Amino acid sequence: MLRKFIHLLFLPCSEATLLMEKQNAETISKKESRRLILHLKICKWCRAYQQKLKILDDILKRRCSDKKENTINSSDIQDFKNKIVERLDL
Amino acid sequence: MEKNNVLKSWVEQYSEPLLKRAAYVLSDKDAAKDIVQDVFLAAFSYYESFEGKSKPLTWLMAILNRKVSDFYRKKYQSEPHIKLDHFFDETGSWNNNEVLNDWDSSGKETHLLDDHDFNATLEDCIEELPSRWKIPLKMYYLQEKKAQEVSQELEISTTNLWKILQRSRLQLRECLDNNWFRKS
Repeated sequence: MLRKFIHLLFLPCSEATLLMEKQNAETISKKESRRLILHLKICKWCRAYQQKLKILDDILKRRCSDKKENTINSSDIQDFKNKIVERLDL
Repeated sequence: MEKNNVLKSWVEQYSEPLLKRAAYVLSDKDAAKDIVQDVFLAAFSYYESFEGKSKPLTWLMAILNRKVSDFYRKKYQSEPHIKLDHFFDETGSWNNNEVLNDWDSSGKETHLLDDHDFNATLEDCIEELPSRWKIPLKMYYLQEKKAQEVSQELEISTTNLWKILQRSRLQLRECLDNNWFRKS
């Protein structure tokens, strides 16, 4: 109960996790940053989440820069090329 | 005539990367083909405005981005309603202790993406997100986390972009926790 009270008073976890997104994108304001730091000091749940957010961020960053595996096969791509060339009358 | 030859070589060279990018962002092959066709039609119409300052593929990718944004805007015109009650109670505290689960990530995550099974699980978890969230999420990471740009392009407020990212990530955490970290 006390924990919930403290969280509500400073910043609920539902909002702290939103601020983490802004922090992650480096667009968090100084005021928000102070509130988040304070929250993280008293909340082990959000500390644990923040670690996982970093792992997810790293995974998503690397994954999206990687060339994706074959989502469209080569005969589809060839058909597509033929269609466009015909359509544009090239 | 020269224009036709250039366009033809672009279709030959760049159809594949454009289709792959579009299929990835939209999670839909047919929609990807339609949208890349529009990209080439636009490239044909606006060919004169391509001044060769950027690489052709960069220019075509920029057109693709715009087309994806048009697609998204048309599809989702109203403000999104993003509910967090699956994760937080009425006071905004975590609903359960799952977030504390150990992911045993020490030094391991660098190899996670080399693991075929992990990639498949990640893929499934991402695809489970509604496209209203996963398109912004993918664009956010494809555009190196430039939140301002992504939200302008998709015409959503930055606040809503943060909410979409937050909600998506909460769900990804839960999904990977259930289907990977606590299984292996």
